[in-house]
Amino acid sequence: MSDSDPLAAPAAPVPGAPGPGAPGPAGAAVPGVRGIDLVRVESRALYIQALFSAERQQGPGFAFALLPVLRRVYTTAAERGRALARHMGFFGTHPVLSGIVLGVVARLEERRAQGLPVSELQIEQTKRALASPLAALGDPLFWVTLRPLAGLMGVLGMAVLPLADTAGPDLRVLVCPCLALLTYNAVAIRFRVAGVPRGYAMADDPGGLLRSLHLAELRRFFERVSALAFGALVALTLWPMVQSADPAHEGFAHKASVLAPFVLGSALTALLLRRWPGRSVEIAFAAALVALVLSSRF
Amino acid sequence: MLGQPLVGACLAGAFLSPGTPWELWALRIPLGVGVLLQLLLTDPALPAAQRPRDAATAGVIGASIAVLSLERLHPFVPLTTGGILWVLVGTLSGLLAAVGGGWMELSLRARNERSARRAEELALEGKIGSFEALYWRGVARIFLRGATWSVAATVLGVALASLLLPRIAGLITGPRAGWIFAAILGVAFGAGFQTHVRAPRHGFRWAAIGALVTLLVLMRLHAGGEL
Repeated sequence: MSDSDPLAAPAAPVPGAPGPGAPGPAGAAVPGVRGIDLVRVESRALYIQALFSAERQQGPGFAFALLPVLRRVYTTAAERGRALARHMGFFGTHPVLSGIVLGVVARLEERRAQGLPVSELQIEQTKRALASPLAALGDPLFWVTLRPLAGLMGVLGMAVLPLADTAGPDLRVLVCPCLALLTYNAVAIRFRVAGVPRGYAMADDPGGLLRSLHLAELRRFFERVSALAFGALVALTLWPMVQSADPAHEGFAHKASVLAPFVLGSALTALLLRRWPGRSVEIAFAAALVALVLSSRF
Repeated sequence: MLGQPLVGACLAGAFLSPGTPWELWALRIPLGVGVLLQLLLTDPALPAAQRPRDAATAGVIGASIAVLSLERLHPFVPLTTGGILWVLVGTLSGLLAAVGGGWMELSLRARNERSARRAEELALEGKIGSFEALYWRGVARIFLRGATWSVAATVLGVALASLLLPRIAGLITGPRAGWIFAAILGVAFGAGFQTHVRAPRHGFRWAAIGALVTLLVLMRLHAGGEL
């Protein structure tokens, strides 16, 4: 599998490993995991956070997503139930990358069902060993960088695209959200779709699997694009504001007074958020109140 | 990603058209609300460090309140400021809804923990079908909670706007709305600066390049008479 293509198709099963239909612990034939099972796991991984809680995080979702594989490889309800319960404990990673862990665990569960020496502890340890670095790399990439960038692309769409003809509908209302959705999903969908088969194929090399995803490199790239796009947005917003601030040519003082609420609001917010991160809602209400008072005075 | 305020606000605007006379405003106002909420509610912190805010429903609620109030209250509060007032109403409502929705999120997580314990019991008993049904109910609960909260908060918001705005109509002037709008736009850009420029490494450099290139293009277009 090429290291440069982070999400290439899964490799063939590892030579020497029992294939589908290998005898299980009791000598009975154990069906192997099929492609359709991995597709079902992928589709269920979309709901991995549905029972999210502080105590178990995505644990119940992980068990729910893995169920098609457990159904395939374990033959009795009791076996399936026990395997399911094992995966109900704490599990936390980035939801987009959860498919990779699900793929690896699917492979290990398959081998365990086939009677190979794979212990419950080994499965749990592999799960945790993968989940933590994927969360550490995935959260900054998707939550901190890509999601804000996707929103910014939508906002940028509003600034770049001209106003619609007054006779027709303003199509920006459709184009801007589409830009946001496309930006995010161009990256996320690939990880979602290819994650499970990729994890299943590379279950024996978790280190190589993590390296091959190039998450840190992707993050650096999107951070730069994000800053670049924000710079462009500032220019696109300030240009028409400055152009239209003084239509009667009353001078610099008039222009400054028109632009003052925007400039002061930006500068003070940047300073306040440094001191109180995440308080933009409170700052917005305070700014609205101050502007209301000042507008009554002047 | 459907939970982004910009996406929610634009979808709400596209679906909640108050009629042909308002078609243009029904599209532009949600777009303005969505853009402001998108910049204000994007937190660059990791999820565990974020304050509980329900950004997903904030856009829908803010845009819905703005569009529905616009239609009902235009005889009392005329559109002298190009819809800025309604963008403000929608944005402030959306911010309040984000805070309220964040509190509701906490109660949902407590409920999820109870469901997870029950799911574990079902798994140990080998009742796989019941386990799945329980999980699907959890999925449905999220959608229902979001939908119920969106409708309830919109109804409440429109009722409050109908009650308050006609009483303070005399105080609402174009310049005053403009000042508040400019201040909130400034706050949104300050929040955007924190997210897109300060948080990443070398953010200043790349933002400066972006601004400079865009300015050069704008000046070129302006000189050519295209702007």
